[in-house]
Amino acid sequence: MNKTYGEGETAVHALKDVSFSIKRGELLLIVGSSGSGKSTLLNMIGLLDHPTSGKIFLDGVETTTLNDNEISSFRNSKLGFVFQFANLLSDLTVLENVLLPRKIQRTDENAIDDAKKLLRTVGLEKQMNNRANKISGGQAQRAAIARGLINSPSIVLADEPTGNLDSVTAEIIVQLMKSLVKKLGQTFIIVTHDKHQFGDVDRVITMKDGRAFEEEEQRGMEVAAS
Amino acid sequence: MDYRVHLAKRMLVNKKGSLIGAVLAVSIGILVIHVNFVIFQGLYDAIVRDLKDYRFGDILVSNDEDYIDKSDIALINWFERNPYVVAATSRLDGSASINATKFGKRTEEFRIPVLGVDPLRDTQASTIHNTVGDGQFVFARNSLVMGSRVARDLGGVEVGDNVRLKFVDRHGEDQLKRFVVTGITSSAGGQGLDGSVIIHIDTLRSILDRTDETGTILVKLNDPTKAVEIKDHFLRSFPSDDFKAETIDESAEAQLSGFRSGIALINLIGYFGMMSSAFAIVTIQMMLVSSKTREIGIMRAIGAKRKDILTLFLFQGMIIGAMGAAAGTGLGLAYTFYAKETKMQFEGSLALEVTYNWEKIGQTALTSFGLAVIASIYPAYRATRLLPVEAMRTV
Repeated sequence: MNKTYGEGETAVHALKDVSFSIKRGELLLIVGSSGSGKSTLLNMIGLLDHPTSGKIFLDGVETTTLNDNEISSFRNSKLGFVFQFANLLSDLTVLENVLLPRKIQRTDENAIDDAKKLLRTVGLEKQMNNRANKISGGQAQRAAIARGLINSPSIVLADEPTGNLDSVTAEIIVQLMKSLVKKLGQTFIIVTHDKHQFGDVDRVITMKDGRAFEEEEQRGMEVAAS
Repeated sequence: MDYRVHLAKRMLVNKKGSLIGAVLAVSIGILVIHVNFVIFQGLYDAIVRDLKDYRFGDILVSNDEDYIDKSDIALINWFERNPYVVAATSRLDGSASINATKFGKRTEEFRIPVLGVDPLRDTQASTIHNTVGDGQFVFARNSLVMGSRVARDLGGVEVGDNVRLKFVDRHGEDQLKRFVVTGITSSAGGQGLDGSVIIHIDTLRSILDRTDETGTILVKLNDPTKAVEIKDHFLRSFPSDDFKAETIDESAEAQLSGFRSGIALINLIGYFGMMSSAFAIVTIQMMLVSSKTREIGIMRAIGAKRKDILTLFLFQGMIIGAMGAAAGTGLGLAYTFYAKETKMQFEGSLALEVTYNWEKIGQTALTSFGLAVIASIYPAYRATRLLPVEAMRTV
């Protein structure tokens, strides 16, 4: 797929001929320097933005043909999001934030039990009734992970989930996400500028100037360059 | 509870300043309508009340072209057999030139309306006798109750003074008669007989040589809603007489039609005030949407549809509308209660006739609620147009 912002001489090609597939249950890291197009790519996969050309298939569905309502439903049921800033709704409690995707889906059955279970998993059972703006950054990010998982999505997308945290808290979040991948068997796509933070992962895609390279390709390019 | 209602409520509670501003805008709009209604409708109803009590009754019977020559006692008895009739009384109108001698000096003569009343029946069918502040109502053939304006124009006539009236009888002959002023009548708002004099009806009949003739019959009902029914029954019962029977709305039409247009205009201004409060809500809701841009983006990202966002902000409009309508109606009712209990009047004018018009109160509350919801449509629509990626970039 391709993504271009603007037209003519001022056009910016954010993504150029990006093409790859991901296996179910894979933990994929998308790395790259600032401005390389990694967040744009994640936005395309998360259906938050449309590619200028090309197609995106998620869970066997060609998403580029979906209308706005179908995209919203798809995002709600098949995708889970964890943002750099936890992006919790400050007007709601931690528990209500985690429940929100389920409320939007209007499937209230066992919702509270599921949300509490997830909050226990991420270690926030004591803070569940606190207002979202009354907890620490690390706790907010853990709540955001729980919110991203409440609808048992096929794919969890995380955009710099540790980017706004201190190193100790970041390490806790990384370990939590890796343990969840093993436990839940869901596909995790994580955008980060620091791949070493995540240690061993299933796969790494490097973004450079809007193009995506598998780790082996990237290594080959680096060897050739040296 | 629907999560959108819950979220709308929380968003508003956490933006207390905006919530209070929007609720105040709605409630002030309603309060203006209530205050207008209490004052202007109250004034209108007070005028109707006084015209009815002093001049026209619930039904006013007259002859289409001339005086009533049928026995007034017979007609009064006909009315008083009806259970809805409290009392009926006959009156005769005339005019005379009046002058008085005060401190040895005779005042300049001028013409005044003269009303002849049956003192006993009039006190039952009308309350004009209650407007006599000094002295007492007509009780003898030569007693006269003078309107306060007439007394003033005569140089300060007081109870006990003598006045001379010059009438022109039915044959065109001048008739002079002296009266003793037994009372001075003065009504708040001037709807009474402040510019007339009141004498005994038999005296006036005798002076004008109109024995057994009557000008009008004033009928007081215990249930004014039966006025049309009784009036129609009366006209059907005397088909061969040229009677004219009018309810208060008909008999006072000339005095009230202009006032009614004024009330309609004032109400229109009140509704314009309400429209202004709707614009205030649009502004406040736009500010709320603007301050919640990031949250809208997050909600869209986790699957909320455009209609969910639209509904969320419409719910906010409904909450603002409901709270504003409740507060405004409460304030309006408190003002109405105060005006009614204190018999509100302005600088000695007539006391307002304050009523609780529940239909109007409900209509005003519903209109302002509806306007608050309508005023939320555009901000809510704007919220739905936000793109999740763009919206989440807002800090």
